[in-house]
This record gives sequence, structure tokens and C-alpha cells, in this order.
Amino acid sequence: MATTADTFQAHTDEHHHDADHKPGFFARWFMSTNHKDIGTLYLIFAIFAGVIGGAISGIMREELREPGIQLLGTVAMWLNGGEVDFDQQLHLWNVLITAHGMIMVFFLVMPAMIGGFGNWFVPIMIGAPDMAFPRMNNVSFWLTVAGFCSLMASTFAPGGTGMGAGTGWTVYAPLSTSGSAGPAVDFAIFALHLAGASSIMGAINFITTIFNMRAPGMTLHKMPLFVWSILVTAFLLLLALPVLAAAITMLLTDRNFGTTFFDPAGGGDPILYQHLFWFFGHPEVYIMILPGFGIISQIVSTFSRKPVFGYLGMAYAMVAIGVVGFIVWAHHMYTVGLDVNTKMYFTAATMVIAVPTGIKIFSWIATMWGGSMEFKSPLVWALGFIFLFTVGGVTGVVLANGGVDDNLHDTYYVVAHFHYVLSLGAVFALFAGFYYWFPKMSGRMHSELLSHIQFWVFFVGVNLIFFPMHFLGMNGMPRRYPDYTPAYQYWNEIATIGYEIMAVSIVIFFVNMIYAFTAGKKAAPNYWGEGATTLEWSLSSPPPFHQFETLPVIEDHHTSDNHIGPAPAKA
Amino acid sequence: MAGAKNHDYHILQPDIWPFVASMSALTFTTGMVLFMHEMAAAHIVLGLGIAGLIATFFGWFSKIIQEGRAGDHTPVVQLHMRYGMILFIASEVMFFAGWFWAWFDFALFPTDMVEVIGGIWPPEDIHAVMDPFALPLLNTMILLCSGTTLTWAHHSLIHGDREGLKKGLWATILLGILFSAIQAYEYMHAPFGFGGNTYSSAFYMATGFHGFHVIVGTIFLIVCLRRTYVGDFTPKAHFGFEAAAWYWHFVDVVWLFLFIVVYVWGGWGAEYH
Amino acid sequence: QEAPAEAGADAVAESAASAESADAAYTPLGPDMIKGQPEPGALTFQKQYSPNGEYALWMHDAVLLPLIAAISLLVLILLLVVVARYNRRANPVPSKTSHNTLIEVLWTGLPVLILVVIAVPSITLISRQYQSAPKDALTIKVTGYQWYWGYTYPDNGGFEVISNMMPEDEAIDKGLPPQLAVDNRMVVPVGEPIRLQTIGADVIHSFAVPSLWFKLDAVPGRLNEREFYVEEPGIYYGQCSELCGARHGFMPIAVEAVPRPQFEAWIRSQGGTVGGEGGAESTSAPLIAPDSAIEGAPAAGEEPELATPETEV
Ligand code: HEA
Ligand code: HEA
Ligand code: CUA
Ligand SMILES: [Cu+2]
Repeated sequence: MATTADTFQAHTDEHHHDADHKPGFFARWFMSTNHKDIGTLYLIFAIFAGVIGGAISGIMREELREPGIQLLGTVAMWLNGGEVDFDQQLHLWNVLITAHGMIMVFFLVMPAMIGGFGNWFVPIMIGAPDMAFPRMNNVSFWLTVAGFCSLMASTFAPGGTGMGAGTGWTVYAPLSTSGSAGPAVDFAIFALHLAGASSIMGAINFITTIFNMRAPGMTLHKMPLFVWSILVTAFLLLLALPVLAAAITMLLTDRNFGTTFFDPAGGGDPILYQHLFWFFGHPEVYIMILPGFGIISQIVSTFSRKPVFGYLGMAYAMVAIGVVGFIVWAHHMYTVGLDVNTKMYFTAATMVIAVPTGIKIFSWIATMWGGSMEFKSPLVWALGFIFLFTVGGVTGVVLANGGVDDNLHDTYYVVAHFHYVLSLGAVFALFAGFYYWFPKMSGRMHSELLSHIQFWVFFVGVNLIFFPMHFLGMNGMPRRYPDYTPAYQYWNEIATIGYEIMAVSIVIFFVNMIYAFTAGKKAAPNYWGEGATTLEWSLSSPPPFHQFETLPVIEDHHTSDNHIGPAPAKA
Repeated sequence: MAGAKNHDYHILQPDIWPFVASMSALTFTTGMVLFMHEMAAAHIVLGLGIAGLIATFFGWFSKIIQEGRAGDHTPVVQLHMRYGMILFIASEVMFFAGWFWAWFDFALFPTDMVEVIGGIWPPEDIHAVMDPFALPLLNTMILLCSGTTLTWAHHSLIHGDREGLKKGLWATILLGILFSAIQAYEYMHAPFGFGGNTYSSAFYMATGFHGFHVIVGTIFLIVCLRRTYVGDFTPKAHFGFEAAAWYWHFVDVVWLFLFIVVYVWGGWGAEYH
Repeated sequence: QEAPAEAGADAVAESAASAESADAAYTPLGPDMIKGQPEPGALTFQKQYSPNGEYALWMHDAVLLPLIAAISLLVLILLLVVVARYNRRANPVPSKTSHNTLIEVLWTGLPVLILVVIAVPSITLISRQYQSAPKDALTIKVTGYQWYWGYTYPDNGGFEVISNMMPEDEAIDKGLPPQLAVDNRMVVPVGEPIRLQTIGADVIHSFAVPSLWFKLDAVPGRLNEREFYVEEPGIYYGQCSELCGARHGFMPIAVEAVPRPQFEAWIRSQGGTVGGEGGAESTSAPLIAPDSAIEGAPAAGEEPELATPETEV
């Protein structure tokens, strides 16, 4: 199955490629079949989406600063192009959280992690010249853009009570069917269809690439952990997304063609939608974090100058998380009226995931133990990740207890939990990976000083936003509320202040980018030094347009089975 | 390491079809929304989207075929395609799992809170179901038979018997069309309409998506047949044919499950139409 | 840690005593009787007023919170230790260890043990929550509408109380918490198990009362049932906890628990019947009226028709 050295004879090819011959602007960016260019497109798109999703959460935080409805009126008037009634203002809240959730999940984290870093570094790390299906790679990217456009269109379309889809990112029926007249929800559903198709194709591409295009000598057990993480993620995408596609297709036909999948008047079952959604939705949360795990593994090893501790355990922990992730979905549905045995089963199954995740946390620490750590910005973000992800993970274990979740479900405790694993987990991993690889991708060094400042400002900001949400949730504040009783004001105000601090850090991020592109030093091939051992560090920064025209051969190496990456390739 | 490509992978030139495909998909979904809400220009937008998608399939697949003829599909590239097809089919399996999930939910736990269901399955409102041992059984036979004719075509291809290949493909395609025709006839004469209750919702959507896959598979086979006539496929290299065959067998297996679960088990105890 | 069940029993005895002394007229409880509501700036759960709530709170405070805090602290301390000891300056030459079977077994095995420790009370809690109310328990059916609640008392003549959020000004005038206060509360007898059923009339809502550790979705086409128990007389606030459209944040829940005699007086004041009086077999009032439950609800945005005479609060 794997490609072996002797299959790599010269190939007489009429179109001769020069490694650095780049197509013209339009051909290069709209017709790309180059994994690095497509990765770049994905990253730019994800940053763009992240700014929009982050700005929306800014409106949300300002609205929640104090009791009462403040901003919604103004924004709703703008959106509706005229006077709005109170219900339309409240509906706008639901539109904002829906857009925020969907943008962050489908158009920031997934495109950045898988489309961006995955595209850029999976082929390079396994010693491949490109992805297995370069054309399909591009259709994945543009379908993501198409999905985003459809989601944006939904905001400006009538959605029942007001403009936009106000169903939450979970799109629960019957609120999303009989409860939301107008085209907005259909646009949002199609946005998920398009993004889903994109991801399924991406998954097929990654699995094929990883199984078939490893360089000679690059066995599965020598693959860098980032590649492992993308492999597991791709399987989750491949198996989970089609179920979502079926579920949201049922929403469409219930809405428009008279089926009654979720309509009780025809015997339908609203809970069926939740089962289908969460059968996808829970694997989805691991889809968002596993690539982050991979990134953190690379960084921790690089900056400790040590191979990853327990490489095999790390790889198979991710496989275990992926497998168990498919059988815990109903922990999002503890209050729907599950029967007692079901609830007990899902409680037990959910807690099991803490074990492989713990293996990862402790193995990262053990990797650093005895190491010689250098606190460059990626490592600092990675350290932040390890701690904050743990905080988010352990509150997940609290929620896993069905009986306890009866109080916490749909409160801000849940919001706190998932922002700790996402906004403080996945996003920390994104910034870590970004600073780790940015000079490799762009050829320019960013400012380490600014990256560190950004880290600390971001760290303080997001903790101020989200830690108090645990208190609010325990004290009973429900989620998806634009207004609240004054008792909740104290911590909400602090959260909003935290947002403002966090926003400064995003400005610093862009200043750093401007700095890098205008005044940044040229990046050496291996600017992180001897700890960085994976194949991308054997290439120039940025790598040639087509790398590995002659495939690298991965040598057997005495410690290779527990090495973070392959032994250095023969030049 | 700049210089000539020194490996067997296929490095592609930039291509506009992915962009066209995505924008057509967006146009199509937008057209669907307009259509479903009876809004202005729905048919034009929908038509444009569909046209774009069809054009994409033609443009994209002819490119692949040309590249295959030009020798770009080295053994390792063919291996990619095998993996790709298998994984695609795996995702399709999960898609159907969703529809079966709905079916089982409704059939195993029919609600007693509305009269249209009345706590029984098939529901109160479904006075008669299709007799599984009439046309559906015939359709089962047709599909199974088409599986064998397709294998006949494959064997002929491997043994260099072009005539057998053509005959086998023709037979498979005709059986596929026959299946679709019978399915359409059944839909038109079904004792229950579309939607309105869980039985007819899940029945039509599950069998309908299967039917759609049969049509796609048939088109896939027609393309193979045409390629046979123009001299494509060798006994050693004929992945396009194999992919079509895998797809066809997959659709066949889905039907077997539908037949057993939806037609036989799911209609058990009801009046046959 | 005091066993929560005992605490519950005490509270029941207390409220039963107050029941005897009370006369059988109903006057709505005033703001001084508010027990279940959020506290400004609070760091933790609301005080619990049901046996299951006390058990759950005990489980959180005595088992979960210490464990997760300890795990988070452990990770933090380990991180600080590696940062202090294994940085480039302190340790210029990195070791090459990448295996240690013992420690790997430990950090797999210990979490398993911790999880088992959590699972025992967790499973106990769930099984307690699922104990069904006794056969003769009072039934209350809660219906979630867009966007208000309806409380039906099938054992007492089947009347339905419609409960809307009280406008902010009115609430403040009356000394009640805005956004939580309602015009008509769900009145229940204190100290006895109640069979609470939920259903949704249009979309999914969720009936939640944090200080009773109670949350049960109100799903259209599905009747959910759970035992509901309040230990002390008082007012307990909750809020709809499933996104149900524009005014999801504006359909609060207020439970008013009063001793049996007052409860019965309240029932009569609503035109209901107690203990089969009035001839009609009140217990046989239909719990489920499928068609009306699904189609008969006022449409979104319509002002609900009040099914009962207005109660002074
Ligand atoms: C990146 C995304 C991500 C990740 C990784 C997780 C991880 C986990 N999540 Fe989370 N979750 C979400 C995203 C995520 N979640 C989202 C988005 C929602 C809300 C969706 C919505 O409703 O909108 C949600 C909601 C959610 C719920 C439903 C709450 C509710 O709505 O009522 C539950 C309940 O069980 C849960 C549990 C868990 C658990 C047990 C883990 C575990 O995987 C965590 C494991 C990690 C650790 C435990 C820490 C490290 C381990 C150790 C240091 C070892 C020692 C530890 C122990 C022995 C405990 N999550
Ligand atoms: C990845 C997911 C993600 C992320 C990052 C965030 C980030 C933030 N979220 Fe969000 N949130 C969700 C996912 C996410 N959220 C989901 C799924 C919901 C539930 C929706 C629902 O109920 O349906 C939710 C709901 C939610 C609520 C609850 C609303 C309600 O229930 O009424 C609130 C309230 O404060 C909130 C606030 C914030 C804030 C202030 C941030 C801030 O941290 C935002 C700051 C911005 C960033 C951190 C992005 C910066 C990143 C970049 C600029 C790109 C960088 C890229 C590279 C380096 C490649 N979010
Ligand atoms: Cu009713 Cu939320
Ligand atoms: Cu989950």
C-alpha cells in the first residue's frame, strides 16, 4: 500500500514543472491545486471569519453588560431597515448567537485547523509533494466560502419573528421548522450543507493522502502527531457529517415539503432531531480540538528539545477519543426526558473520555520534564492551552454527570465549559500553531515581543470573560438570554470588561502581522533550532512552490519509534 | 530540490472547475431557497445552479478521463482513487444511517399522542402499505440481477472481451432504468401520499434518496458504456468502471436493507395494497 | 457533611408544623418568602430546597468541585515546576527519556479510580431523581407556550393557570425581582411528592427551577414526567431553559409552595375542586389532550387568553 522507494522512477511528463514557477494571480488564488496556497486561503478566510464571529460576540457582550435591552434595538433597526418592535429586537439576539456559534465552529476553527494547518503541513510532514486530490482540495475551500455566503445571506433574510435565523447553532426542531417561517433558516441550513460537503471531501482527501503518500520509510508509527491528529479528525468528519446532512435535510423537507420527521402533529419526534444532531455534534467538538492536540504536541516537543513522551500512547489516545466520542452524544440531552438507564449509560460513557485526554495532558508535561525549554511565543501559547484546556475539560466532567447536569444544562456553566475548551483551548492552539509556523509559511519573522504581549493580554481577557460564567451558571443564569435579572449583573459586567481587554490583543495580533510583512526579518529554514525535527524544517521558508520533487527517504533511527517526527531526511 | 518531478504522483495544473463547482452549488442552494419560498427569479437561479453543476461534472470528469489517457494515472494515483471512492461510499453509508435511524425511531416507538399514528406501526393513517412481495420483490430481483450483469461486464473486461463488456453494461443500465421506472410507477400508485405522517415521510425520503442514487449510478454506468465504445478501459486499468461498479453494489445493498426494513418489517401486519 | 436526606426530613417536619397552625385561607406569599432566586455576585449554586437538590449540591461541593479543583491545580503546579526547573538556563542539556511504563500506568489508572469515585454518587443521584411519585400523588401538568407557561391541575378539576412574566415596573413596585416575577404562580403543596408532567405546545421549552435542582424539557408531542418536591413554603424562581424563540428570556417560572390547607384554598379560589368534591371524577380529567396540546395554543405573538380569574399577587 505505501509507496516504496523503487516506485519512484523518473516520470516522463509532458508538462514540466519548475519548482518555483507560480501561476498568475487569478490562476494561483482562484484555480489553485497547490496545497500550500489552498492552506493560505483557508487561513486568511478563517481569520476573516474569526474577526466577524468575534465582533458579533462583542455586540453580545456589550448587550449583556447590564440588564435591559440596549444595543439590540439599534442593530435590529439597521438590519431591518426601519422601525422594529420589541420581539424583533429579542429575535436579533438569537440571530447573533446563531451566527456567532456557526461562524466560530464551521468557519473559524475547522477551516483554520484542518483546511489551514492541515493542508499546509500534512503533506510536508509526511514527505509528500501535495495532497492526493489537489482539485478536490480546492473545491473544499470554495465550498466553505459558499457556505459562509449562505450563512451571511440568512442574516438578511426574513426568519419569522425578525430578520435572520434565530435557532441557535444546534438548529433544534420544531423551533427551526414550524417555529421559523421565512427563508432565513433555509439559508442557514444550506450553509451547513455546503460546509459539510466541503469537510467530507476534505476528510476523504486527508485520509487518502496520509495512507498513500507517506515518503519511503515514513511508517504510520513514525508520523508526526499532528498528522495523526488530522487523520483521526478526518475519520470523525467522514462518519459524523453525513448524519448531520441527513438531519438537516429532514429539517428542510419538514419546513418546505410537508414531511413530519420532527412535527408531532404527524407523529414526528423533535427528540429524534437532537439524537441525529448530537451524533454529529459531539464528534464535532473533538474535530475542533484534536488538530489542536496535534499542534501542541509538535510545539511542546520542539521547544523542550525532546521527543514527545509516550508517542504511541499519544497517538492511540487520540484514536480512543475519536472512537469513544461516537458513543456519548446524549450527554447534551440529559433533560429531554431520557429514561433512567440511558442517562446512566451516557453518564458513564462520557466520563471515560477523561482518561485518554488525561494521558495527553500528562504526556505533554512529561515531554517538558527533563527538557530544555525555550519560551518562544508558540510554547507560551501551548502552556496556556494545556492549563486552560484542563480547566475546560474538568468542568466537562462535572456536566457529564446526568443528575448534576439537570441544574447546569443550558446555563452559563455550559457556556463557560465550552469556551474554555474552544475559545481558550482551540483558539489558543490556533495562535500557538500560527506563531509556530507563520515564518515558515510567509518567510518572515513576526515579533516575538508582540506575540508575548498578545498572549498575556488575551490570557487575561478571555479568563475574565469566561471564568465568571461558571458562577453565573451555577447561580442559575440560563444561556441564550438577551436580558437578565439584576442579580446577574456583577459577573456579566466583568465578563464584558474582559472582552474589551481581549479585543486589544486582537489588535496587537494584526499589528504584529503588519510588522512581520513590512519589517519582519527573513526566516531561516529552521528558525526554531535543533528541537524542530519534522520535515517542514528541512525546507526553505517559505517552502518551494512544489516541494519534494524527489521524495525524501526517512531513515531508520534508533529512537525513531518514540520520536515526535521522523529522523532527519536524507537531503 | 528544484527541478523535474521525480515521483509518480500527479501534480495538477490550476483548474477553474472547483471554483465553478462551488459557486454553482451556492447558486443552486440559493435557487432552492427562492424556489421553496416562491420568490422572484427562483427558476432562473435554480436553473443556473443546476446548469453550472452539470457543466462542472462534464468539464471535470472529461479532464480526469483525458488525464487518465495521457498516462497521469500511475498505479499510486489509481490507488488514491480507490481510497477516495471507498471513503466516499463510507460517508454515504452514514448518510443512509441517518434515514434508517429515523425509520427505526418511528417504527419502534410510534407515538400514541396523535390520531394519525395511534401508537401502532404502520400508523393508523396508513390504511394500506405496498405489498413487499409484489413490485418491491421484483425490484429486489432486478437489482440483484443487475449486480450479476455488472459482474459479467467486469469479467468480460478483465478477459479482454469487449463485446461481453458492452452487453453486460447495456443489461445493467437497462435493469437500472427498469428499476427506476417501477419505482416511479409505485410512487404514483402508492396507497399513501407524500408527507403528513412519519410513515410516508420516512418511506419516501429513504426510498427516494435511494432512487436518486440509482439514477446517479445509472448515469455513471452510461458514462462507462460510452467510454467503452470510444475504446477506453484496458483489462489492467479501468478504475472508472470499477468505481461505478462499487457504487452500484453499494446502492444495491442499501436497497436490500430498505426492502427488509422498510417494506417487509416496516409494513408488517398492515393491509397490503 | 450532614446527610442531605435528614436535612430534608427536618424541613418537612417544620413545614408540616406551620401547616397545622395556618388557617385555610389563601393569601399569596409576599416578597419576604422568596427563597429560590439568584444572589448578586454569587459564586456558587442557589440554596437547595429539595432532597435531591441537597444531595446533588452535596455531590458537587464535596466530591466534584474538590476533585476538579485538585486536578486543575495539579496540572498548574506541574506546569510551573517544569517551567522553573527545565528551562534552557536551568537545564541546558535535555534528557532523552520518552518512556516510563510505571508512570504511564499510574496516570491512566488514577483517573479511572477518580472517575469511579465520581460515578457512585452520580448514579445514585440519577436513580433518586427517577423515583416516580406515589400513585396518589398530586399531578400538575406544565405546558410551555410561546412565550408563557400554563399549569394544569387535572386532579382538581383540570383548570389551567396561565403564567406570564410581570412587567419590570410592576415587579419593582411589588418588591419582586424583575425578569423573574410572574403574574400567576404555579402553586404547589409543600412537603409532599408531586407528579410533574411537562409538554410543549408549539416548540420545545424547558421547565427549570435551580433551587430545586429541577429541569425537564417541555417537548411537543411528548409527555415527560418527574417527581417534584419542595421542602419549605416559599417562592422559587426559575426560567425557561430551552431556546424557544424571541421571548425565550421572558417566560420565567415562579413556584409558590404552601402548606396543604392553603393549597386547597388556592385551588378553590381558582374554581377547582379538592378530593373529588363537586361530584366529577376529577382524577380522570384527561392528562393529555393531544390535539389541543398541539394545535389549540394561541399562535406566537397572540396575547394568551387567561384561563383563570386573575390572582392578586
Ligand atoms: C473543543 C470542544 C470540546 C471539548 C474538547 C469538550 C470536552 C468535553 N465535554 Fe463538552 N461541550 C462542548 C465542546 C467541547 N467539550 C460544546 C461546544 C458544548 C455545548 C454545545 C451546545 O449545547 O451548544 C459542550 C457541552 C458539553 C456537555 C453538555 C452540557 C449541557 O448542555 O448540559 C457535556 C456533558 O457531559 C460535556 C462534557 C464534556 C466532557 C466530559 C469532555 C471531555 O472530553 C473533557 C476531557 C478532559 C479533561 C477531563 C481534562 C484533562 C484530564 C485530566 C487532567 C485527567 C484527570 C481528570 C479526571 C480524572 C477528571 N460537554
Ligand atoms: C470556537 C468557538 C467559539 C469561540 C472562539 C467563541 C468565542 C467567544 N464567544 Fe462564543 N459561542 C460559541 C463558540 C465560540 N465562541 C458557541 C458554539 C456558542 C453557542 C451558540 C448557541 O447558543 O447556539 C457560543 C455562545 C456564546 C455566548 C452565549 C450566548 C448566549 O447563550 O446567549 C457568549 C456570551 O458571552 C459568547 C461569547 C464569546 C466571546 C466573548 C468570545 C471571544 O473569545 C471572541 C474573541 C474572538 C476570538 C477569540 C477569535 C479570534 C481569532 C481570530 C481573529 C482568528 C485567529 C486565527 C488564526 C490564528 C489562524 N459566546
Ligand atoms: Cu420557552 Cu425558552
Ligand atoms: Cu459532547
